[in-house]
Amino acid sequence: MLTAAETEKNGKKMITESLSEYSLDANTLPEGFRLPPPEDEEAEEFFVNIGPQHPSTHGVLRVVVRLNGETVVEVVPHLGYIHRSIEKMAENQTYVQNIHLSDRLDYLSAFSNNLCLCMAVEQALDIGVPERGEYIRLIICELQRLQSHLLWWGVLGMDMGAFTTFFYGFRERELINDLFEELCGARLTVNYFRPGGSSVDVPETFIPRVKHLLNIMPKVLDEYSNLLNKNIIFLERTKNIGILSPEKALSYGSTGAVLRGSGINYDVRKNDPYSIYDQFDFDVPLGSVGDSYDRCQVRMEEMAQSLRILEQAVARFPSGPHRSQPQQNYKLPKGSYYSQVETPRGLLGVYIVSDGGAKPYRLKYRSPNFSNLNVLNELAAGHKVADLITIMSTLDLVIPDIDR
Amino acid sequence: MGISSSGASVLVRQAGELIEQAPGGIKLVDAVELVVAWGRANSVWPLVYATSCCAIEMMSTIAAKHDLARFGYEVMRASVRQADMIILAGTINEKMAKNLVTLYEQMPAPKYIIAMGSCAISGGPFYYDSYYVIKGGDRLVPVDVYIPGCPPRPEALIQGILQLQEKIKKEGRRNPWKVRETLQVPFEDIFSKAQAEWASREKQRDEESREAREQFKRENAASPASKPVRVKKEEFPVVPSRKPAAQGISNWTLLQMLQEKFPAIEVYSHPGITPKQVAELGPDYILDLVVPSEQYRNFAEYVRNEQSLGLDMLIQLTCVDWKDSFDIVVQMLSCRDGHKLFFRSRAEKDPATGDAEIATISDLYLGAEWHEREVYDFFGVRFRNNADLRRIFLENDFPGYPLRKDYDDPTRVVKRPY
Ligand code: SF4
Repeated sequence: MLTAAETEKNGKKMITESLSEYSLDANTLPEGFRLPPPEDEEAEEFFVNIGPQHPSTHGVLRVVVRLNGETVVEVVPHLGYIHRSIEKMAENQTYVQNIHLSDRLDYLSAFSNNLCLCMAVEQALDIGVPERGEYIRLIICELQRLQSHLLWWGVLGMDMGAFTTFFYGFRERELINDLFEELCGARLTVNYFRPGGSSVDVPETFIPRVKHLLNIMPKVLDEYSNLLNKNIIFLERTKNIGILSPEKALSYGSTGAVLRGSGINYDVRKNDPYSIYDQFDFDVPLGSVGDSYDRCQVRMEEMAQSLRILEQAVARFPSGPHRSQPQQNYKLPKGSYYSQVETPRGLLGVYIVSDGGAKPYRLKYRSPNFSNLNVLNELAAGHKVADLITIMSTLDLVIPDIDR
Repeated sequence: MGISSSGASVLVRQAGELIEQAPGGIKLVDAVELVVAWGRANSVWPLVYATSCCAIEMMSTIAAKHDLARFGYEVMRASVRQADMIILAGTINEKMAKNLVTLYEQMPAPKYIIAMGSCAISGGPFYYDSYYVIKGGDRLVPVDVYIPGCPPRPEALIQGILQLQEKIKKEGRRNPWKVRETLQVPFEDIFSKAQAEWASREKQRDEESREAREQFKRENAASPASKPVRVKKEEFPVVPSRKPAAQGISNWTLLQMLQEKFPAIEVYSHPGITPKQVAELGPDYILDLVVPSEQYRNFAEYVRNEQSLGLDMLIQLTCVDWKDSFDIVVQMLSCRDGHKLFFRSRAEKDPATGDAEIATISDLYLGAEWHEREVYDFFGVRFRNNADLRRIFLENDFPGYPLRKDYDDPTRVVKRPY
């Protein structure tokens, strides 16, 4: 067994100098903070760094919090700890090769990301999708929404100190993951949709298995809302915490459950329908206060609505071909193209600028999480530091999507 | 776990050495060591260190179905000072690298690293073309077990953990845990090298199988030729594309309203087009306007304040590098009615430095501030009066602006060979 001293002898010296980077004199604020020093003599202000390696930041977000006692004064997020240069890489890969990179943005909504990119290509080349292909897309995207929300729900409980939800949430999520695996061989980074449909047809067992899932899920959702969402601790820690006004939500460009929790009725599936969402009956749940509780309730209700969509889709699932294009590469005519979808986390946009070649000249992902994180300071200021963790959890952030 | 060099353990070591010298004592010490190794192998405490996609599979491994607790690994620690193993689950980039090394050095020895997934092994999908991803965790910290996959399945992670257990069980006084060196190899285009090797191997295999086939034919001259297998050809239906229904205010009306106020604006890539002709571009065409840069801010302000336009949300603000100038593209959406409007302004490049400047709109849209910071970070376009124009993703001392077309940094980037 080695000691620290021996480690030092054998290896490099410890990197403790890096600490000096963070040392500040009393009069300068750390990067990004704006509020003037407090006038109140009693105020005990100090700065706390959370992350990038921290279990509650869902990955590698780093936030620096300015606290007065235990109350949050200001929060400054620092990004880039998982920046992977996907947009630069995209410029050297063909459109079909880019699909696999889109998986890795927001890996919990990989199918939606695939879909958005494929839709932009389809729009540029006027490619249609056969009916079965559209149904596959819709069913899978809704399943994805379910599994993503289940994960969110599990981790939400964990962030409030209840480990139980984590195990429950993952129990049903595994069922959905198994479906994905049977479909395309991958559980997470799926690389499944193609312009004109999907890469392979669904197996015969697919629809029966979705039906089985639909039998289980309503009961499970009831159980879950009894388990956590009526729990007094949960209510105390979410009601009237982290209120986002509708005007602020719009001005920051936040989307998804964050926007709808603030009462603004915008869901791309409903307001700008893509694929075949316009043929289905579902409601868009809305919050009224815009607090953490509303965001949670919106997501819980969205799961129920996804089940509704799935039920209709499974009942009408057509036969026929699943794609209209062979596996091939595409050249997009010169110009710019934009498509958007509603991922489990909000509005994802793909903006392609093409110079007429087989590779995009510029490919920009409009990431929902990027704009959703931007509201963090608005939400957390004035609350306790423990509430900051819950608020981050109700924003449902996936950091690699922010950093791209 | 983690035996320190405190007085007690020195005593234990000395006692062990004494017993070892006694007749038959060596067997006793061996037996004790076996028990200790078994205990150590089954009680490793991993650090919660999850950076990206692979982390989700790590969570699945801990969760109900795969249940990592069966192997004594469930005590995930949030502080590295209480842990003795890091599972590198996900990509590591330059900004994170320093943190990872610090974490490793803070961990009490003996300590272990599992590289989970191809990113942690070699940079994986981000090996080529990425200017920011570290090409393998073992360039930073010594890795004990590599688990291939993108992401590896939970079973693979469990397999990797069992491998680590085997490794720990083999440690003892004859084979103590040691600090190992990190990998120090330059990165290069491994694909082209490997491709050449595969090609030569393939050629050799082709030759062998041709010989085998001929031999088979010679020996079985009488047998009938086998029927060729026919694969059913897939038919691709001709499907008309679905045109989304027009939402909200039509492009025609939008253009009319805006041109009244700003006569200098044009439709992008359709110069001189009239509102009527815009209507002919179809309902799925998104109006894309070119605004003279001196009017850019006023235009944005007008769009925000004019309620009848209904454009209440900024989708994003981004930039396109046209080699001699930048286009700042602003994309607006009406949550109320559903129509969209894009507009762009040119920011001329300074021929010497390639930098450019344009007015900010971050005071009009709160969300624009971060978008502008992103554009500044990637393209080096400065936004006049943006209150907080710092780099957003990259470190402050990162050289160059990576999304510019002329960006090239051979110390970071391996060019994709295909
Ligand atoms: S190996 Fe694949 S799944 Fe894992 S972090 Fe890297 S890209 Fe994501």
